[in-house]
Amino acid sequence: MKNKTKLWLIFGPIICAALLLIGIFSLPWERTFSKGSLYQAAASQTKTVFKGKDMRQKAYKLGYVPFYGSSELSRFDNMHPTVLATKYRRGYMPFLLGAAGSQSLAQYQGMQDAPSKKAVMVISPQWFTQEGQDPAAFSLYYSPLHVTDFILNAQDTEADRYAARRFLKMDCVKSNHVLSHALFEIAAGLELPKTERYYLLWRRRMYSNEDRFFTSFQLRDRLPKIEQQGKSLPDKYSYKGLLKVSNQEAKRNTRGNPFGIRTGFYRKRLNPKLLKRLKGSQKKFNYVQSPEFSDLELVLNQFSKDKTQVLFVIPPVNAKWRKYTGLSQKMYEKSVNKIKHELISQGFDNIYDLSQMGGKKHFMEDTIHLGWNGWLYMDQAVKAFMKQKYVKPTYALNDYFFTEDWRNTKTVPKVALTNKQVLANLKK
Amino acid sequence: MINLQPYENPQYFIYLLVALLPLVIGLYFGKRYKWYEAAISLLFLFFIFDADKWKQGVTLIAYIIYQFAVTFAYQHYRQKTGKANKTWIFCTFVVLAILPLAAVKIWPVVPHKAGIDIGFLGISYLTFKTVQVVMELRDGTIKKVDPITYMRFLLFFPTISSGPIDRYRRFAKDCDKAPEREAYIKDLGLAVKYLFQGFLYKFILGWLFGTYWLPYLEAQAIIAGKGMPLHLSWWVLGVMYCYSMYLFFDFAGYSLFAVSISYFMGIHTPMNFNKPFAAHNIKEFWNRWHMTLSFWFRDFIFMRFTFFAMKKRLIKNRVRLSQIAYIVNFMVMAVWHGITWYYMVYGLYHAFAIIINDIWLRYKKKHKLVKHNKFTEAVAIFVTFNVVCLSFLIFSGFLDNLWFNVPLGK
Repeated sequence: MKNKTKLWLIFGPIICAALLLIGIFSLPWERTFSKGSLYQAAASQTKTVFKGKDMRQKAYKLGYVPFYGSSELSRFDNMHPTVLATKYRRGYMPFLLGAAGSQSLAQYQGMQDAPSKKAVMVISPQWFTQEGQDPAAFSLYYSPLHVTDFILNAQDTEADRYAARRFLKMDCVKSNHVLSHALFEIAAGLELPKTERYYLLWRRRMYSNEDRFFTSFQLRDRLPKIEQQGKSLPDKYSYKGLLKVSNQEAKRNTRGNPFGIRTGFYRKRLNPKLLKRLKGSQKKFNYVQSPEFSDLELVLNQFSKDKTQVLFVIPPVNAKWRKYTGLSQKMYEKSVNKIKHELISQGFDNIYDLSQMGGKKHFMEDTIHLGWNGWLYMDQAVKAFMKQKYVKPTYALNDYFFTEDWRNTKTVPKVALTNKQVLANLKK
Repeated sequence: MINLQPYENPQYFIYLLVALLPLVIGLYFGKRYKWYEAAISLLFLFFIFDADKWKQGVTLIAYIIYQFAVTFAYQHYRQKTGKANKTWIFCTFVVLAILPLAAVKIWPVVPHKAGIDIGFLGISYLTFKTVQVVMELRDGTIKKVDPITYMRFLLFFPTISSGPIDRYRRFAKDCDKAPEREAYIKDLGLAVKYLFQGFLYKFILGWLFGTYWLPYLEAQAIIAGKGMPLHLSWWVLGVMYCYSMYLFFDFAGYSLFAVSISYFMGIHTPMNFNKPFAAHNIKEFWNRWHMTLSFWFRDFIFMRFTFFAMKKRLIKNRVRLSQIAYIVNFMVMAVWHGITWYYMVYGLYHAFAIIINDIWLRYKKKHKLVKHNKFTEAVAIFVTFNVVCLSFLIFSGFLDNLWFNVPLGK
């Protein structure tokens, strides 16, 4: 055999395979998803769905509504929003986005190029720590596709420059040389050079195809569980009937612990040693000064850009747990008030504030996560919000919320807005 | 700032192969562009140790200077009269060569301010190389160390982070000449094969076992272990097999990359794994698993100790002698892995496994108990595999987590 033939036999297959692969991923593919797999995706909370785009976009067109949040979304008891929407065949279906560790910045990243008319967002004051979004947690939600979308859509605004800087604080983003280079340019207020832009457009096509081809392979099927949970509910919707079932179910599941939380959680997550350590451990927790306040502003900017109507929900901490760990309710309310001020002053009026209800019976499923009666209580607002006709909202954004000054401020005027007013507004 | 950790993602391979292309073409035409090789080696080393890893880079430079001083001082001593070969001087130099590594290994167990770390990626593997050269200088198998070759040997970047551990004399044979064209084409064929085998091992199988399944199994084992004696449940068995597979595919994949890239560069870095799970006894296992490391330990710990003990007549009984040598050998290896209880147990476990295996082999030979056939071979492989997997469960540190750490969940 001639040497050239030998070389071709060694390298030929690789070259062909590489060309074929690049070729396939560079083509503009289209596809449809079955109703079943969209439902699975919406309820599955898997990271791949979060990082993807195609399933989100297609689901929103079919009446799915994004529920942005974090770990509370995985509390699948019988009053979970997805269970209620499935059982009573409501006109909408929650598309759950987020799980433990996903905060404003991760959500903002995921919202790129996936606008929805309505959205529900559960904001946990626990996000608003001194560090804000934890880079390690962010890496679980980091999607080169979304960041590329952000880069290609970015303009020279305070919001985009701030977002670019924030992304660059995340190690996983920084390790992608091309994206971090572009982010540096955006952060500096420079325009992307043409070649870089073309390259990114091509990369985006490849990322999108990856998402298109593979995301639907790794879904988690929660339908059996959801249907199982739905069986215990009354066939016709009634608040009273549901409350009864909710209390029954909660009572059955919260035995054998002093906090009134799910027995399984208590047994698995809180052993005596850990409990001892946690006692009084949160006295110094501070959710009032945090980069998260500006990250939240990014989310608000996106809502404003997408003309999305949003219902915000702010959950409480289980009161017994709060007393045990020494977390200050005063500080908690201060944080909530600061969040509400940021929302209201820019025209986001639909805020359902549950932060003072941590002491209500069966309201929390565990330490800091809504459950049973908490979900049901929230459902009142969700139901009204979904029934409301969509009107293009107008928001009055203020770049002040991107400043250090705002992030660090402790003095915020008291926001006067009751849940009753919010509900009345929604039912108008 | 660009920072590239060796073989961490597919991107790295694209950069690497593009950078290697001129070298490959040169070698194909019978020329070795040493300056180019030096330039890209330094470039890729730079990218390993730049950005937030710069402290490691500085430590590496200091370390290299130090090891050069040690090696060449010893060489100078050995060449002085041609006969100078005092044992205590030799021992002093070995200790000096090991000193930095020893410090790095002891550091975690001495109290120190958090966040201050010493050492750098690959210090172990560099130390294996320098100690080996000092030992061979003593034996006279290496007469003269060429400084440039020594530098290239130590800083050979495809193997710098985790081996395989090459030998100086073997490396020196390859590194100056260009291979024959026929031979080099064969090398290229192997290089490509190893590269893709490595992709399969590390990025697909290693990922499946290590990232996709292992965390789930570990979580289940911790949950199911509540209230059980020793926190043991059947899940632990799953963790054991899954971790073993992960360890093999991850490390074997990594080693294949290193060998592959070496072959592209016309250097025959030795293989590290040879179907280890097909071994039919524990001794054979160590001839197939992390081979360059176990051969290093065999040559420089086991044999040295055996000769030393024989010469000094420390232990008369030959059987007893080899048993002690095994314990010494594996305990040194354990300490090298790190000073934790589970590495120590792992070391002892393997030492005793080999000792028991030897006893069994002698017993079998003496009594002519069983005839070798396909069935006994299969049983032997099965037993060896499970003994090894259990050792990896200990090695993984999962038991430490299961027994002594309170798992913190969010």
